[in-house]
Amino acid sequence: MTETSKKTPAGTVRGPSRRQALKTLAVGGTAAATLPLWARYAGAQTGEPIRIGFAKHATGIGASYGRWYDRVSQAAVKKINAEGGVNGRPLELVTEDDGTDPKRCAELMEKFANQSKCDLAFGTLFSHVVIGAAPRAAELKLPYFVVSEGHHVASGMLNRWTLQPGITDVKSQVKAMAPFVHDTLGKKVTMIFPDYAFGYDHRDNFTAAIKALGGDVVAQIAIPPTETSFTKYFPKIPRETEVIYHVMIGPGVLTFVKEMGEFFGPSRPEIFGFIDSLEAVNLSSPGLEFLEGTYFWEGMPRYLQPDAPGYVKAYRDAVGLDANGASVTDANDVSTAAHMFGCWETLHVIKAGMEACNYSGIADRQALIEAVEQMSDMPAGPDHPQGAKRFNGKTHQVFGPQYISKVEGGKLSVVHTASIEDTLYPDEVDYTKMSF
Amino acid sequence: MIGADRTGDGMKRAWAVVWAVVWAVALAGAGLWPGRALAHASEGGFVLLLPTGLYTAGGGTTVLVTVLLLFWLPARWARGMFRPWRAGAGGSAPGATAPPPGYFRPDDRGADDRGADDRGAWVSWAVLCGLGWAVWAGVRGPQDPVENPLSLLVWTGIWIFLVALSGLLGDPWRLSPFRGPVALLGRRALLRYPERLGEGPGLVAFLAFAAVLLVDVAPADPDRLAGMVLAYGAWVLAGGVLFGPVWITRGAGIGMLLGLYARLSPVWRGGLGLPGWGVLAMGVPGWSGALFCLAALGVGSFDGLNETFRWLGWIGINPLEFSGRSAVVGPNALGLAASCLLLPMVFGAAILVGDRLAGARAPGLAFRTLAPAVLPIAFGYHLAHYATAALVQGQYALHVLSDLFGGPEVVVTTGYLQTRDSVRVIWLAQAAAVVGGHVLALLLSHALALRLHGDHRRAVLSQLPLALFMVLYTLFGLWLLASPRGS
Repeated sequence: MTETSKKTPAGTVRGPSRRQALKTLAVGGTAAATLPLWARYAGAQTGEPIRIGFAKHATGIGASYGRWYDRVSQAAVKKINAEGGVNGRPLELVTEDDGTDPKRCAELMEKFANQSKCDLAFGTLFSHVVIGAAPRAAELKLPYFVVSEGHHVASGMLNRWTLQPGITDVKSQVKAMAPFVHDTLGKKVTMIFPDYAFGYDHRDNFTAAIKALGGDVVAQIAIPPTETSFTKYFPKIPRETEVIYHVMIGPGVLTFVKEMGEFFGPSRPEIFGFIDSLEAVNLSSPGLEFLEGTYFWEGMPRYLQPDAPGYVKAYRDAVGLDANGASVTDANDVSTAAHMFGCWETLHVIKAGMEACNYSGIADRQALIEAVEQMSDMPAGPDHPQGAKRFNGKTHQVFGPQYISKVEGGKLSVVHTASIEDTLYPDEVDYTKMSF
Repeated sequence: MIGADRTGDGMKRAWAVVWAVVWAVALAGAGLWPGRALAHASEGGFVLLLPTGLYTAGGGTTVLVTVLLLFWLPARWARGMFRPWRAGAGGSAPGATAPPPGYFRPDDRGADDRGADDRGAWVSWAVLCGLGWAVWAGVRGPQDPVENPLSLLVWTGIWIFLVALSGLLGDPWRLSPFRGPVALLGRRALLRYPERLGEGPGLVAFLAFAAVLLVDVAPADPDRLAGMVLAYGAWVLAGGVLFGPVWITRGAGIGMLLGLYARLSPVWRGGLGLPGWGVLAMGVPGWSGALFCLAALGVGSFDGLNETFRWLGWIGINPLEFSGRSAVVGPNALGLAASCLLLPMVFGAAILVGDRLAGARAPGLAFRTLAPAVLPIAFGYHLAHYATAALVQGQYALHVLSDLFGGPEVVVTTGYLQTRDSVRVIWLAQAAAVVGGHVLALLLSHALALRLHGDHRRAVLSQLPLALFMVLYTLFGLWLLASPRGS
């Protein structure tokens, strides 16, 4: 395994891949192999990997996201290591399953910090998991980089050790949709959302944003989370409605779309939704024809756009996406494209932060947090394929462009890009004033 | 034991080859499924769009018609159904009065193994070495459960695939990692096994396994799992040292479950017959054996129920933001316990009423005789419930195997859960397993009732409540498959 401590002539460093780890298991007779990977690098002064504890939704409700987040993270680490790693050291993902479970994820923080000697923790999507694990990360003084898009970071609910530098939060996303909906689709909006916190975030933030522009939410229809038939709710949509804003999620979504299509027939209001509803669902699936001509928010375009820059293509190639946002190995295996880019960008922010503070080991954990807090504008490019970003060190939250796409021929075409300025809102916290 | 001579070494070798081929084909098949998908939101969405109400009605009707046909079927035919086409090595022919020793597993054969048949013990030792390596990999290997050999071996290799293959192809007891060591260590047992315990220790072990499956916070976490596997191994080996090889058929709960399902295979102990003939070929289980059969069904049923929106609604959990297994430890423990208590009670009530209708006045014997008839229901549901997991996890297993042996990169896909047509095919295959299991259960219970009562009219009368139970259970099983799931 000496290759991990060498820099190749091409300037690349190689981290221990999972494949190597498994092969090591296969030849378990040798003395070196009986040691855990970290122990084998412990003697090396330079070139030892920087260990990133990756809390993955491998099982539980988030598993379909976890698989793609893992794929993107592996691709990002591969790219970073191929470009020389971080200060000449390779990155290594130490992946554990958080079970999409807050308690379990909090236990992982402990494991990352004390058992597997990780430099930091990196965690994914579901908000309740991040909210459950962040306090433990702070107690352990372990930097916790999250990719959850929840507003909990910027709201001030968490702590100095938790940052969200690679994906924008729901509040900014929703706020940025209001100008397009108001100016292009209509001023009288009916909102249909699931009857719990996720739906309320949309309800409250969008209602405030559209009213500020002079529009109006004429009805708010909350649907119980266990509902699987929606026909009784559609008659509640007021006749004056010009736009329907929907954010339904869960297995009932396809039925929701089908029944909405049957309710309206050919004459319908404009319809705008969040792709969260249909993330990883093929839009050309039977039953989704009704969505033709409707609009969706996308964190990053699923379909390769005609004007996509080279670095977007490079990102998609590295992850293994075809032009439709599905796996290159299976056209039906549609990715979670609207969110997963956040893993790629977060890992690149970690790299930049470590280089800025000349990170050398766990003693520099605090310096890493401070270095990231100093970051501000990040240009679009290979490290930030979703677009340019602006990090707010006080709120530990990044801001970036948002995409609105129209379903045309069963595919999503970007019709509007909301600027960073459209997504900004006043700071709700200043973490930099908190002690470590 | 004429059959044993006839099957002989050649047969054993042939089976070893068949097992190896089946494993390879099953694993390859999982990776090469047409269209080539994980428990996925869109899969549940497509299921909700299918006319599952109609399918369920069709399934229920099929089972109901089976009931009516059976009642009408001449007793001679019913008795002949499960007569083996070719007799095997163990057990006795249907109608035999004296049951062979040991309801679970061929410990009549196991007795041979202790002595003369040590020739096959190397297989067991080899499997033990493999298991030991997997436990080591559980502690030292990648901690992502879809990358770790131990997690994949236990939850995919054994719980999904080996259980399924046992019921389809026969008892894999030769592959037991404990048979060789127990035969060696237990050559001079320290104690005589107290037979009044029956299969009780095995039942306890199986229920402990079920608790890990359904209640534990992180059953797939590799290093935790390594501890659990070691604990189970210690249980089996300690019992083996104390009581000798008989412990394998009394205390090794997981192997005993495989042995039970193996009786549903057309091939059983070297013989061949209608699936389930192995149940008829054996005698009447004791109380603990009968309860083991019902526990298999109880665990399987709760395994399905605990994921449904309905259950999550009952315990006050929002299925769209299911907060993980740590939030449901209490409810799941209670649900599992209730399921394993309620089911024998409902089953017992059906038996009691049937016994009265038939005027037999021996409900205890009827309970024990008919309990194995629920095995096909439990097995059919296992196949159905784990079908999608098998397709996904099987790919992860292949991925790791390929990595270990330097094969090509296997990219895991869940694409086939994302098209309506493939989801329909999978759902109908699952429904067929559920309905097929119930049909077989009805045939078995009818044949067992005929043996119990000796008279067609009384057998039919005794079966009325149980038949109703099975028709309702069919609807329940199909409802589970059709329900939206949130955990």
